[in-house]
Amino acid sequence: MAVATVETAAEPRRSWSRYRHPSSTIRFAVILGILAFLGWSIAFLNIDLSRVLGAFPRLAEILATRYFPPDVGYVTDADFIHSVVRTLEMSLLGGFFGVACSIPLAWLAARNITISRRIAYPFGRLAIMCSRSIHETIWTILFVTVLGFGMLAGTLALTVFCIGFAGKLFSDELEAIDMGPVEAMRSVGAGPLQVFQYAVLPQVRVAFTGIAIYTWDVAFRAATVVGFFGGGGMGWYLKRTTQQLESTRVAAILLVIIGLVLLAELGSGWLRKRIARMR
Amino acid sequence: MKHEAGIVEGRIARGLPRYEEEQVPVLDVRNLKVSYTSSGPQILKGINFSVDSSDFCAVIGPSGAGKSTLIRCVNRLVEPSEGEIVLFGQDVRALRGGELRRLRRRIGMIFQEFNLVNRMSVMDNVLSGRLGYTGPFRSFFKAFTREDIDRALHLLERVGLQDHVDKRADALSGGQRQRVGIARALMQKPEILLLDEPTSALDPKISRDVMGLIRELADEFKVPVLCNIHDVQLALETCNRIIGMQDGYKKFDGLAKGMQKRDLDEIYAMEVL
Amino acid sequence: MAIAAPDASEHGFDAWVAHKRQRRIGNWLLVAAAMAVLGWCVWDTIVVDTDWARMGGALGIAGTIERFFLIDWSLIPHLLVPALETMMMATLGTLLGCVLSLPVAWFGAANVTPSKYFFYPVGRFLMVLSRSIHEIIWALLFVGAVGLGALPGILAVAMRSIGFISKITAEAIENIDPKPVEAIRAVGGNQFQVMYYGIVPQILPVIIGTIIFEWDINIRRSAIMGLVGAGGLGLVFFRQMAMFNYGGVTLVVLAVLVLIAIGEIVSHYARKAVI
Repeated sequence: MAVATVETAAEPRRSWSRYRHPSSTIRFAVILGILAFLGWSIAFLNIDLSRVLGAFPRLAEILATRYFPPDVGYVTDADFIHSVVRTLEMSLLGGFFGVACSIPLAWLAARNITISRRIAYPFGRLAIMCSRSIHETIWTILFVTVLGFGMLAGTLALTVFCIGFAGKLFSDELEAIDMGPVEAMRSVGAGPLQVFQYAVLPQVRVAFTGIAIYTWDVAFRAATVVGFFGGGGMGWYLKRTTQQLESTRVAAILLVIIGLVLLAELGSGWLRKRIARMR
Repeated sequence: MKHEAGIVEGRIARGLPRYEEEQVPVLDVRNLKVSYTSSGPQILKGINFSVDSSDFCAVIGPSGAGKSTLIRCVNRLVEPSEGEIVLFGQDVRALRGGELRRLRRRIGMIFQEFNLVNRMSVMDNVLSGRLGYTGPFRSFFKAFTREDIDRALHLLERVGLQDHVDKRADALSGGQRQRVGIARALMQKPEILLLDEPTSALDPKISRDVMGLIRELADEFKVPVLCNIHDVQLALETCNRIIGMQDGYKKFDGLAKGMQKRDLDEIYAMEVL
Repeated sequence: MAIAAPDASEHGFDAWVAHKRQRRIGNWLLVAAAMAVLGWCVWDTIVVDTDWARMGGALGIAGTIERFFLIDWSLIPHLLVPALETMMMATLGTLLGCVLSLPVAWFGAANVTPSKYFFYPVGRFLMVLSRSIHEIIWALLFVGAVGLGALPGILAVAMRSIGFISKITAEAIENIDPKPVEAIRAVGGNQFQVMYYGIVPQILPVIIGTIIFEWDINIRRSAIMGLVGAGGLGLVFFRQMAMFNYGGVTLVVLAVLVLIAIGEIVSHYARKAVI
């Protein structure tokens, strides 16, 4: 039977080690730095690690004892159902206006087809980044301060949120298009708007529709809580019941929110799949 | 018996000493049948053959003949449905879990698409050939023994990749990647090599180089080889024994030298029609 | 001409126009319906629900906005520690989220799940649940469970991150190339070695990219955790708001922007290093 043996060659062998001086050292330093930051964070924020693990059983216990029989009567009340409808309205309006504003902004913020790289491109980028960077609840509070309580503030906050969310996705999509048709249209002598309509839009229409539906889905998720800060809709009920410690009512509202968000997600997923098939 | 005469002649042809005594074949396959689903078509319909310690044996045949399935049955990447496979005196089909892994680590395998982990370095890919012998602690930290690393370096030099040790596997060309695959298989100190279409993803010139290299290394380490290959000319050049298959049946088994044109015609009859 | 005439009526210009018109009518109906819904929404939210009188007209609004622009720079020294806290909350939350999403991804990836009929649906449900509950609600729940402080913020951020990280990870596991896995099996590797050498190197870049992306988002999220009692910049924002010091509010918002810019820069370089 043939047995392979380790042959000991006479020639001197080059040695090898996993450790490479500059790159491995840098990597270890970075990992060490991250670990140090994590350790410092735990110490600085005064976090008791046993409480972290205890939090989940504790949450389950509280849910089981205090929140348990959800007050179904509260959420089947006509006022509450009206607030659900209003939440839906806000998300639709915010999604619509947000998408409508973000398409031109995304056009400016797409490096390959922007009108001018010097002025329009940074402007578009900055506008999208600013609306993305600030959380929707902060937008809500700001609009509520200026415009007063109500759905107008919530709708505007959602609009800004959608501009940031959809604008990013739109401009990424635009930057990935095939530039061939764009060049063809430009060589025909088409203006920027014509180029956008004839060479760019046909390429991204399906993707944009999918993103728009997804944006609405996310906007609806956000709309459930804008009311918490005075933006109108069902979030206001959430705030009132939590502040008055009416836990069973909170539980009912949370269940409604989860159910609606799941429905919205299923619906938007189904629609997006259908649209992707039309491609 | 056609092929027993072949062993002796094969050994002479390869410059190995002539065995006179009866010897047990390394691999013995009896009445092997495979179908992927219980109701589906049979891929192999009762194959018998054996491989001896001196063999460099090629399995040829038209595509869909079951060559790849045959090779994969030997280390049970494909589960046979009937028959007997005896490798190193063990019944392969009876092995379970750890036993199967211990058998697999004695079998080197070289794949058609190289099957390298693209994001790992060449060195790590070669070292992964030793995994069967490496404990959990060492494999977690990728801390292979000094001996393994030396062997890997030597093998990489042997296959001509000494300058590519720390490159990522996907930075190499096809021929170079297959050389990494060869080095990985030899890292196992294999007692038999299984080659599953090792050259069909390569261009003809590089195919010849790679097959030549495998032949050279197999002779050097005295490893028997079972190889499935679609390039008949290359098979006749490199291998000393040929098994011809067609549609799940063995049609030819004998020395490469003794192969006639009509044997080939018979094997490839389906394709001609 | 006599030969061309029937051709024109069947496939030519007229037919084309008729076909177009049919499609266009359908499209217009759809658009009209959508417009009607939107119009009703506008009516209900903006016209009926808004108390225009309380805003005090254009001048009143301009006055409020003006107060936001009188930025209260004196607040800067009081922002440093909260900003650091926010950053730490985001980082620890992301880390905890990663740890928690490992089992979820394992359960929810169809090709490696321990049980297709029990653990797979559980994993998928956890992914959806984590994403469908807003971070504010998670924070409220955890404030109830563990009290005020940074911990509920971290936990909320972690819970909200699980969904995205584990979904992407599960998809990466489902889309791996099976060939290297086969090679490691052929070499005689055990279950752990197959995972560690065959699967992990393939999905690692995707996972790290996702974690960096999620960390970036989590900075945004942890900046508002203070609104429900979890510390960080959100708490300062809340206090300034309560004192009607709108200049300070603007400064906090600017601080959030700075943090996010830092996050973008760090994640840009981190992503480059990983790829």
